Amino acid sequence: METKIISGNEALALGALVAGAKVLTGYPGTPSSGALGSLMVLGPDHPWRQKRWVEWSTNEKVAFEIAAGAAWAGHRALCTMKMSGLNVAYDSVISIAYSGCNGGLVIYVADDPGVSAGMAEQDSRGYALMSDMPMLEPSSVAETYDLTQVAFELSERIESPVFVRLVTAIANSYAPVRIEEPAAPPEREPILEKDIAKYTKAGSAICMAQHRALIARLEEAGRVIHEIGLNRLQLSSQAGGLGIVSSGVVSSYLEEGFEIATRYGFVREDVSVLRVTSSHPFPSQEVAALLNHCATILALEELEPHIERSIYVAAQRMGFQGQIMGKLDGLFSRIGEYSVRHVVQGLNAALDLSIPQDLFVGTGEAEQLAAQRPITVCAGCPHRGTYMAINRAIRKLKLKQDEVMVTGDIGCTILGMNPPFHTVWNEVSMGASISLAQGYVHGGVPTPVIATIGDSTFFHGGIPGLVNAVQHQVPLTLIIMDNGWTSMTGMQPNPGTAEAFQQLEGQRIDIARIVPALGVEHFYIIDPFDLDVATETVRKCLTLPGVKVVLSRQECTIPAMRRGLTAGRVRVEPDNCNLCQLCIMETGCPAIDIGEDTIVIDPALCYGCGLCAEACHRSAIEIEASTLIEIERS
Amino acid sequence: MDDGTRASHPQSASTFDVFLVGVGGQGVLTIGDILAEAALQQGMPVNFYPTKGMAQRGGFVKAQLRLGRDMVGPQIPEKGADLVIAMEQSEALRAVRYIKPDKDFFLYGHVWLPTAVLLGKAPYPKLESLAEQVQQAGAVFHYLDPEKRPLYEGALVPANVYVLGAVLGQTNLGRMLDTDAVANLVRDRWTRGVERNMRAFQAGIEAREDLPRLDKVVSS
Repeated sequence: METKIISGNEALALGALVAGAKVLTGYPGTPSSGALGSLMVLGPDHPWRQKRWVEWSTNEKVAFEIAAGAAWAGHRALCTMKMSGLNVAYDSVISIAYSGCNGGLVIYVADDPGVSAGMAEQDSRGYALMSDMPMLEPSSVAETYDLTQVAFELSERIESPVFVRLVTAIANSYAPVRIEEPAAPPEREPILEKDIAKYTKAGSAICMAQHRALIARLEEAGRVIHEIGLNRLQLSSQAGGLGIVSSGVVSSYLEEGFEIATRYGFVREDVSVLRVTSSHPFPSQEVAALLNHCATILALEELEPHIERSIYVAAQRMGFQGQIMGKLDGLFSRIGEYSVRHVVQGLNAALDLSIPQDLFVGTGEAEQLAAQRPITVCAGCPHRGTYMAINRAIRKLKLKQDEVMVTGDIGCTILGMNPPFHTVWNEVSMGASISLAQGYVHGGVPTPVIATIGDSTFFHGGIPGLVNAVQHQVPLTLIIMDNGWTSMTGMQPNPGTAEAFQQLEGQRIDIARIVPALGVEHFYIIDPFDLDVATETVRKCLTLPGVKVVLSRQECTIPAMRRGLTAGRVRVEPDNCNLCQLCIMETGCPAIDIGEDTIVIDPALCYGCGLCAEACHRSAIEIEASTLIEIERS
Repeated sequence: MDDGTRASHPQSASTFDVFLVGVGGQGVLTIGDILAEAALQQGMPVNFYPTKGMAQRGGFVKAQLRLGRDMVGPQIPEKGADLVIAMEQSEALRAVRYIKPDKDFFLYGHVWLPTAVLLGKAPYPKLESLAEQVQQAGAVFHYLDPEKRPLYEGALVPANVYVLGAVLGQTNLGRMLDTDAVANLVRDRWTRGVERNMRAFQAGIEAREDLPRLDKVVSS
């Protein structure tokens, strides 16, 4: 055993290793990426990875099905994803929940209350409810390590997949954890169980029997969870006081809140506390004990009032006469993260403590004075050239950007929505850009419709949309921005990543071979740093009938620079620069600054893509020693 | 707000909350990381929560370091930080609401202009406005002039290590964490440039607090 500072994500991954998980899969997604990511950086030969299979899968549904297959074969398996990924995987999750599992099967889902990474502020606890699956919610990094192991035990005991849910504040927090060296997963003979009634959905009798079994498994989970005391109930010595129910990360703020409230007359010994770790199944015995003991209940949980609603039901059934405080009475909002402020606010409201309203209200005025810092693409990012080419092509057709729909997708490619490009209009879910664009076409938009998508997003969820567009011959231009990596989440490899960076004997799948195979007649490969050709190619596509696909291809600058690559070298011609700033206005490149008499390019940031030189009208920026990476053209 | 009755929570001697802000590429998160390690070495409970939005240079970065509580949530409430460490003049404004009255607000006055400011399309806050806001929040403003960052063998020393030293030298954090232990962590962290980093750290510790040059107008 040693104590190390690790993240919540690492704690989860390590907990799974210690629990003997043999197959660990996932798809990158902030804030969950660090779990599998921490095992990836170890490399396949690391002792912790011996006799295990660890992979970034094509998408979350694929990842989960692989984990489930391994669990059906009798092994322990983990699958990791962000909340949006659970939306993708859920079709299989609910089906496999109905079938159950043999080996322990744990799904790690990370929610993002307070939205630090973008996407819907969804509460994935709703999914546990719908599929009658247990869900454990650690309240700290250290607890994440322990509870992941408990989740595997529970899963195997009740033969059902189990969720572990973290929120960003825990997944990305670092704290000391006592960890043990993970041993190799236990040797188990793979099970080949032929049981149509368990593993298929063939007919109503089978399906309804599975539903019955599912409910029984959840009830069993409730008994096991109660027996091992996962939900911690502390009753005050005097009945008739306040009972607090907190869940997940919110539990970690209780003691701090009590300490602060004590200064305003709060007496710790007078309140009862139930710290909920299993948000599903609902801890009915503990809640019943609390309702029997207390006059008032204060529910503290982030996002949706899941536990609070169940408390109301329990209260109704028990004839509880007291007050229940939380979100449903309007005390708290369903939006955003909780902190100690909410604990104190709740105690104040429930106990009438006269805690000053401004105790946790700092001046918001200062923040309004801060300069806006819209996120743009990195210096040397190939997407910059693609946005510039799209914008220029639109202008060449005598159209305005506001007249041409450019659907966007998930990942770095969405940054084209920001200044100075303003190219991309919308962002829905992985792969949605291609199908949304078809809807706009059918909606009768008179101008050309463009869809944009990144390489990993294309593999993840974009291919069905393109298949549909080809089948129905929908006139649109799809631009696949292929930088060879899943970049937004930290440069994970994907099916299109160069062979040299594929794990073990992995084979690269070339998008340039997929698209023609789907029957796309107009298919072009462009180099986004070769702006004239790129612009002309996009322009031509906007005038052609049918489905056009442009594959805009240059490697993501970050991994390329880490390997010492550059696209070329750029030099400012001081005599020609009149500081018109056109280069900054069109590229928004963070490597360009304004000097005394000329623009200045930071050599440490510059990748030598040369796009600023293409934006300049006065030959004030020269591309020297251009060593542009050769693009294979079809 | 009446200053006399302003709500504040007295500091418990064993706990200390640090709110860090800056922009990506400055090494803000590394400061927090080193401080967390130092706490662990001292056997002090710690939770370190960095938030970097989308990981790249020039984006807003913040981190929250909470020392001394066995059970602790990752978020520091508004008006809850015992120390703010800000490494960029404009981003510092985003931390003002987190500082506890009477506590230290430390600014390394680096200026990183967003493109819109560079193009003259948007304003950039003056140092004066920040100092004023910090004062209104009731905190003690500390300023370190980036132009005084020393050279080592002709190159500027790393800003974050310099700031780390200065913060330990000038604020109450120096009473919570052992400066020598932090120095050792800095030494062991990077195998290359050990001397450069030690020079940066030492220079930071010895750095005199600069009077903010409030007349200095940094604006478009």
